[in-house]
Amino acid sequence: MSFSNLFHNYHYIGAMILFCIGLYTVIMRRNIIKKIIGLNIMETSVFFFLISIGFLEGGLAPIHVEGVEASQMVNPLPQALILTGIVVAVSVTALALSMVILLYRQYGTLDVDNLMREEAEEEEETPQEKEGMGE
Amino acid sequence: MKRALSLVFILGLAVLLLYVVGNMPSMGDPQNPTASHVSPHYLERGVEETGSENAVTSVIINYRGYDTMGEVTVIFCALAGVLAVLGREKKGRIYAYTDHSKVRSSPIVRTFLIFLVPFIIMFSVYTILHGELAPGGGFQGGAVIGASMIIFTTIFGLWEASKSIPQKLRIPLEGTAVMAFFVVGVAGLIGGGSFLTFLMPRVTESLQPALVTWLTVIVEIGIGVGGAMIFTSILFSMIREEEEIVVQ
Amino acid sequence: MGAYRHFPIFMITLPLLGAVLLPILGYYRRRYVPYAASLPLLASGVLGILLMNRMPVEGYLSYQMGSWPPPIGIEISIDFLALFVMLVICGISLLALVFSWRYISKEVTGGRIIAYYSLFLLLSGSMLGFVATGDIFNLFVFMEILAISSYALVAITGNRNAVRAAFKYLLMGAPSSIMVLLAIGFLYSVTGSLNMADLATLISQSGFTQVLIVSYILLVIGFGVKAALFPLHLWLPDAHSIAPSPISAMLSGLVVEVGAFAILRITFSVFTVGAQNIIGGTVDAVSVAAAAAVLFGGIMAIYQKDLKMMIAYSTISHIGYIFLGITAFTKEGLTGAVYHMLDHGLAKACLFLCAGAFIYVKGYRRIDQLKGAWQQMPFTCAAFALAAWSVIGLPPSAGFISKWYLIVGNIEAGRELYVVILLVGAVLAAVYCFRVIYYMFFQPPEEGAWESGGPEAPVSMLVPVWVLSLGTLLFGVFSYLFIQSLLDAAAFLL
Repeated sequence: MSFSNLFHNYHYIGAMILFCIGLYTVIMRRNIIKKIIGLNIMETSVFFFLISIGFLEGGLAPIHVEGVEASQMVNPLPQALILTGIVVAVSVTALALSMVILLYRQYGTLDVDNLMREEAEEEEETPQEKEGMGE
Repeated sequence: MKRALSLVFILGLAVLLLYVVGNMPSMGDPQNPTASHVSPHYLERGVEETGSENAVTSVIINYRGYDTMGEVTVIFCALAGVLAVLGREKKGRIYAYTDHSKVRSSPIVRTFLIFLVPFIIMFSVYTILHGELAPGGGFQGGAVIGASMIIFTTIFGLWEASKSIPQKLRIPLEGTAVMAFFVVGVAGLIGGGSFLTFLMPRVTESLQPALVTWLTVIVEIGIGVGGAMIFTSILFSMIREEEEIVVQ
Repeated sequence: MGAYRHFPIFMITLPLLGAVLLPILGYYRRRYVPYAASLPLLASGVLGILLMNRMPVEGYLSYQMGSWPPPIGIEISIDFLALFVMLVICGISLLALVFSWRYISKEVTGGRIIAYYSLFLLLSGSMLGFVATGDIFNLFVFMEILAISSYALVAITGNRNAVRAAFKYLLMGAPSSIMVLLAIGFLYSVTGSLNMADLATLISQSGFTQVLIVSYILLVIGFGVKAALFPLHLWLPDAHSIAPSPISAMLSGLVVEVGAFAILRITFSVFTVGAQNIIGGTVDAVSVAAAAAVLFGGIMAIYQKDLKMMIAYSTISHIGYIFLGITAFTKEGLTGAVYHMLDHGLAKACLFLCAGAFIYVKGYRRIDQLKGAWQQMPFTCAAFALAAWSVIGLPPSAGFISKWYLIVGNIEAGRELYVVILLVGAVLAAVYCFRVIYYMFFQPPEEGAWESGGPEAPVSMLVPVWVLSLGTLLFGVFSYLFIQSLLDAAAFLL
């Protein structure tokens, strides 16, 4: 069952491969803009997956017009869900990009390793730097 | 070491997911659980119960309206988050950040844009109001307005753009989507149903279809206006920082 | 039930509506924003208390959104455990909000204060919705509001370390959210439903065991990041220690526990105990991770120099306790887990707020700077000690009650090894808590660090701190008021 089914479900395979590519980008890339792009690839893969779940062989768009039976239409629920999902993805991306803007303004770098190295240096140099705000 | 561990984790996940996909119900089969359990109700009863011919819109606004209420809260939350991180542009002092770009845009582009923007906005109004019949709806329309604001801001700069949609207008309208949902929800409660009931039991039969349609339109307009304002505010607050960098 | 059945939806939507209305108020009258922000939470709390009396102990209070019957529409289903957690959320949020009236103006300035209160209300409203919902996709939507508002709140001060910690949190949190969405997709593809109660029946009949196993694993990983379960905790120490103290209290006292509650809900209401062949292996792995978390968090907390960092690591350890209770699969264990959410929420919020009071008055963050703090800030120090008493789990505090039930539950399940780990965790907690208490009360202050008669924290900060620390004591002494109902509600789940 497994193998024939696997090749029939090629949409799902594509979505899973995209998901792993996105996760790879998020974890392994050092540039934080690329990490955000990876995040968006992951999200897109899940949307693709959900849309494929709702697919019907020979199905039509779920809009009632003359001459289309309800049984011929694709499932509208996953489409509604991914609409919500897209808005969520846009929101996360907007927040992440605004943080990137601020990080770039304050560190002058987009490289994760540089960001983390500066963190380590700060702790070595000025252990008491954090106190400042009580006065 | 850490990279190797991450790679092993990702590869393991990939193998696991591909294995599972092979065991899933085959795609596009009408006998699938997804095609036979809940969705036939949406497709068969959707038109008479929600008055909207687009089944996706009837699911978004009516059957799963509470999700959409959460969704509009999410974008409001994104706006609040962006403002928390970057800050809003200053009230009444916006012209401190005038157009600092080295190359002013050409008169052809400016004239053409002034000609184009009303049409973009008209298209977005069409998208918002036509959402229950055709693909479209509040979010899409709002996003179109937001896109038109992006074009406008890139050509004319932040000052001109923020004169056309001042803070005084944007701030009260940013929450329109959530407020529209709340008002419609409470209206459903007063009408004898529960929160977000569109088909109110206390309203006479003959009025119900019209009422459902109007409530749907109110919600769509709320989402559209709120979404457009939120996108614009996020854009302004991001561009403001960018211009400050240019000044430095 | 009459009008009472509408209460849960107003408990959820009033804070969300308030968050939307605050910027408008802030545009015209910025001064009133902090006080206006507390009204929706107060209203939610009052509604919750009124509902508590009418609540059936067994079964669910189901509310059908838009009058659509459950598999078609969205359902809010609240059982006694959920209502209890919702009340805890209302109470702690309100107290942390009152604390931030004075505190936050030191760390956040200008228009960001409005954004702060708006996000605060979004955070607490989304937690209420998250706990109450009976629909698995709706759970995802509220989780996203929760996640986005907490990323933004960590970054709210806008200084570089805060933004970096928030970005780290986002980079772990966002992929985990996507995993949850993917798991929901898997569940939907093999059942065709999104309603939890409906899923529970469909899963028991479904033949697609492999898909269900993987979706459970993905859900546990996804919510595990939110709950900071041991190997997925990496974001927590930075985010909790750098965020402003009221936000640390919210994150540590509520957000991670709500993540744990989501796993409880998924395990018992969606997959149910009957599906042992699906969830068994993952549950065993979670127990091991939880045991590791108890030890790791405790040991790391002992080595910390920064007070807020120490409390953050202690949180990791206590999340381990909650998961050990959930994975015991006994009614005592579940009761202990839920009661531990209450007392850990109260105690951790109190500790973080005390740390905030030290920062507000003196700007001291390190533990060795607290030597002799008792001479200047006796009230804050006493509240700290009382809350630490509950963190260790000594009688008669609430921490003792919950740990007692956790241990009983694990003994009933025949998991003696985990009982030993729970006891070791308590010893570790005693070590790190008594070190701070010893510094505070029994060490002479360094020259010029603390002077007796110097300024104590303002009243609007002391009141929340004391309400929380007395809460840990009172919920210990009067635990019999709740425990029986919780046990019955837990027995209903099993």
